[in-house]
Amino acid sequence: MGYTRVHAEVHEYDVFARKTRVEPLHQVGSVVAPDDDLAMAYARATYDEERWVEMMIVPKAAIISLWAPGGDS
Amino acid sequence: MRYAEWCIAAPTLEADIAAAAMGLDDIGHSRVLYGSLRELGTPDAGTEDTPSYANVPFLDRPWTDWSEFVAANAVLDSAFTLMMEALANGNVDVLRTRLKKMLQEERYHTLHGRSWMQEVKAGAALERAWRESLEWIGPENADVDELHGAGRLARGVRDLRRLLEERLDGRVPPSGLDWDSWEPVRRRTQPGGIDQATLEMLQGLAEKRYMPATG
Repeated sequence: MGYTRVHAEVHEYDVFARKTRVEPLHQVGSVVAPDDDLAMAYARATYDEERWVEMMIVPKAAIISLWAPGGDS
Repeated sequence: MRYAEWCIAAPTLEADIAAAAMGLDDIGHSRVLYGSLRELGTPDAGTEDTPSYANVPFLDRPWTDWSEFVAANAVLDSAFTLMMEALANGNVDVLRTRLKKMLQEERYHTLHGRSWMQEVKAGAALERAWRESLEWIGPENADVDELHGAGRLARGVRDLRRLLEERLDGRVPPSGLDWDSWEPVRRRTQPGGIDQATLEMLQGLAEKRYMPATG
């Protein structure tokens, strides 16, 4: 194949979804992509195995962490 | 089918998965569209005079470079989607409902193609895919414009060409289309057809080789 280079810069996105309106959104995984368009396409392709009523992606950089395993709480 | 061939060969793992998913989507779409031909007054099976398999030349052979995948995804898939939108917004009720889910799925194909087109210099492949898309849409004042006139398609040839150009961010469309050699059934000017190995897979003949012998 003639194409070997991958994207110069990529971002990580967390993928959230839920199966019913009454349940909260929960994280189902993440994708890595150079922009929002491709991240949406990748999230749909990768996590579409369930009948989700809602799916959304969030740039990981936009998430403000309060505490995490192994850190100071 | 051509998308599926790239499900372990794309530049990233995510693109591998997307290729597989889009391939699966399009197999489903083909089945629905094939069954919809009758609604448009077109026979849904080949005859001696008209071949059963009709595809754009871009799909005749496996793609050897990712830029061809990107061009097909960004240009040909967009042309097919525009035609589906024109059908979904036309006056054939059954198509209006049947094509809805298909168009939702195609949205992600568009996002994928648009983004990858920014990454990959697909110049020659893009020009070829665009030219073949215009041939597939067909000449003015022919069948597509007749369907538009009858209200079955919400868009005519000129609109479809313009919308395709818009989706390609104002790139310059190919010129000098030669309609003299255009085949109205296969909607292409180039002779030839899909390669034998792919045809055998599509017909299920390739898989039969792996079936246990009976008797």
